[in-house]
Amino acid sequence: MQLGVSKPTSPLRSRLSAAAGALLALGSPAVSHGDAANPTWHVDASTLFYGERSRTRIVEPVVRVTRLFPDGQSISAKLAFDTMTGATPSGAMPSGRVQTTTTASGHVVTSTVGDIPLLPFRDTRAALDVEWQKPILGTLRSTIGGHVSREKDYQSLGANAKLSVDLMQRLTTVTVGAGTNRDSVFPIGGTPVGLSDGTILDTGSQAKRVTDGMVGLTRVITRRWIAAVNVSRTLESGYLTEPYKVVSLLDRVNGLPSGELKENRPSTRNRTDVLGSSVYHFTDDVLYSSYRYYWDDWGVRSHTIDMKYRHELEDNRYVQPHVRYYAQTRADFFTFGLKKGAPLPAYATSDYRLGPLRTVTLGLTYGFRTDYVPGEFSIRGEYMRQYGDGYPKDAIGTMSTMDLFPPVGIATLVLAYTVDF
Amino acid sequence: MAGPIGSIVPGSARAATLERVDDNFVGCFTAMASPCEALIDTDDRAEARALVKIAEQEALRIERKFSRYRSDNIVHRINHSGGRPVRVDEETALLINYTVACYEMSDGMFDITSGVLRRVWKFDGSDRVPTEDAVREVLRNVGWRRVTWEDATLTMPSGMEIDLGGVGKEYAVDHAAALIAARTERAFLLNFGGDLYASGWRRGERPWSVGVDDPGRTGEAAIYRIDFSSGGLTTSGDARRFVLHKGRRLGHILNPKTGWPVEDAPRSVTVLGSTCLEAGSLSTLACLQGPRAHDFLQEHGVRFWIL
Repeated sequence: MQLGVSKPTSPLRSRLSAAAGALLALGSPAVSHGDAANPTWHVDASTLFYGERSRTRIVEPVVRVTRLFPDGQSISAKLAFDTMTGATPSGAMPSGRVQTTTTASGHVVTSTVGDIPLLPFRDTRAALDVEWQKPILGTLRSTIGGHVSREKDYQSLGANAKLSVDLMQRLTTVTVGAGTNRDSVFPIGGTPVGLSDGTILDTGSQAKRVTDGMVGLTRVITRRWIAAVNVSRTLESGYLTEPYKVVSLLDRVNGLPSGELKENRPSTRNRTDVLGSSVYHFTDDVLYSSYRYYWDDWGVRSHTIDMKYRHELEDNRYVQPHVRYYAQTRADFFTFGLKKGAPLPAYATSDYRLGPLRTVTLGLTYGFRTDYVPGEFSIRGEYMRQYGDGYPKDAIGTMSTMDLFPPVGIATLVLAYTVDF
Repeated sequence: MAGPIGSIVPGSARAATLERVDDNFVGCFTAMASPCEALIDTDDRAEARALVKIAEQEALRIERKFSRYRSDNIVHRINHSGGRPVRVDEETALLINYTVACYEMSDGMFDITSGVLRRVWKFDGSDRVPTEDAVREVLRNVGWRRVTWEDATLTMPSGMEIDLGGVGKEYAVDHAAALIAARTERAFLLNFGGDLYASGWRRGERPWSVGVDDPGRTGEAAIYRIDFSSGGLTTSGDARRFVLHKGRRLGHILNPKTGWPVEDAPRSVTVLGSTCLEAGSLSTLACLQGPRAHDFLQEHGVRFWIL
């Protein structure tokens, strides 16, 4: 081992010392206001444009503002507005004849032969979500949130709480959470009695209550790879029916619709959801993938596979292609029509969202920054195609020749902006 | 309420601890992918906690700002600028100026653009050595002389990258020390991943005692003890990461001009300087001198230990 002998300072040391001097005299750059490394505010803004061909159109602007504190606490508020117009399937079956439907917004609709009967509607919805996150004792993190939303005929109030704890030097995180929602439904014109012709109405609002709990485990597997598993259970009770949707009454002989009844769903629903997800970092790019399995006591089971690949381009831009596949089995009480004269079941719905359903989604996001404005912009375009069971086995007569669920194409465009300051 | 994919990032709460050891408080936390310690010579737990917090937040701030693993900081912007000029803030400009001073004084051996060599060199103890062609190919993206740096604006050809890992930790130590010194009269020592700074004598006129890691049993034992009162103390060396090639041990300190490991770099060099930045630059520069490490350090009038 060699020890060094002291000599007076060399020219090199003087130069190093001078160069370091200016750097260390800088003081604390982040003290007076936030900078990119220590932001105090974070803003996300986006607008969503959603369109189903000749059906629903939604424009949804959303703004979320988060205030960050040096000790790791943060508070955020998110405001979303939806304006929905267009038409959604009523649940009635198409016929060889002209059909008439009355609608919630007071219009009268006439559908033509073979078309799936649609209900036009126009609605706006406003929603406010607030969230408060706070680290506790170093390894714990608590999150408390509240939600309120309102549209013409629906109101929702909710609260939720989550607790995360980091274990094993932050390599593993366990999260537990619970939430509750109290919703009120007050259909225009009153609430129809289920599986009736809609003339007997209940005025006043109906209550719906949702309680959910979740447990999650996140694990840093390698320096590049994080994976997580989440299980959640939800219990809904109260008024779970869609007050405007109907089920067709079909003639026993020729199978054509000859009347309608309002749909009716059970007053409880028990749902379970298992989600596995993974984030893998390549040198620059990132692969996000997830698989979700869902089932409930209405008979619906579904699988979702979702993958996104973020590819970094030069100049602080990126592209992110997206693929998603969704497959769902029908609810036990889903039917495309009830036979006229047969005894009525307890529950029935023709809402395609509770029927057999498959969707394929392809999307592409392009993100970029500019030197003129701080923050990051992104444009996301997605196209989803929905397939249902257009030719159910027990369709008879003319109905068996018609495609009761033609594939639906849905296009979505999202313009988004994020900035820290 | 099942979390969407965006929520699987683990919580950012750090597992910081504060313990009393002998007559100091020792705060431990993780930052810049290293274990960090702050030793405060005080009996006041609240004071110790506050000072450790300053050290931790400064370390995290520097990590967020200068880490090449993040996609939201100035280093990422520079490394993805595609040949376009990038204007940097004052702190980044001064830090780059410092690395340029090191570049010039070392005759080009200390070069922050040499980080891309890690694409072909993986020092995992195996015998995987890149081919001459592979090294030559990567070398085309190395060389500070290819960078235009003036007026706080950096213009770097596409394919090149800067890596401030060689000075980031030492700068964090010195800067955190400056912030703490402004807040207290107490003596303290900061150790971020093996790079140290001590502010002065402990109570009772006692020095700080620091062990030099034994390169043969790295992480397990100290081979030598250094007692000192103030200054920056850093260790550089080849002991931990290497590649075996034809029976020879090639260290991980790469010569940015050839793209190959420096021959006969010392296994371990420890330097005591007036600041952590100075000590760190001198210990790194000494290793780059290979067999001349001892003479190099002797010329510059610092205390050093070579193993």
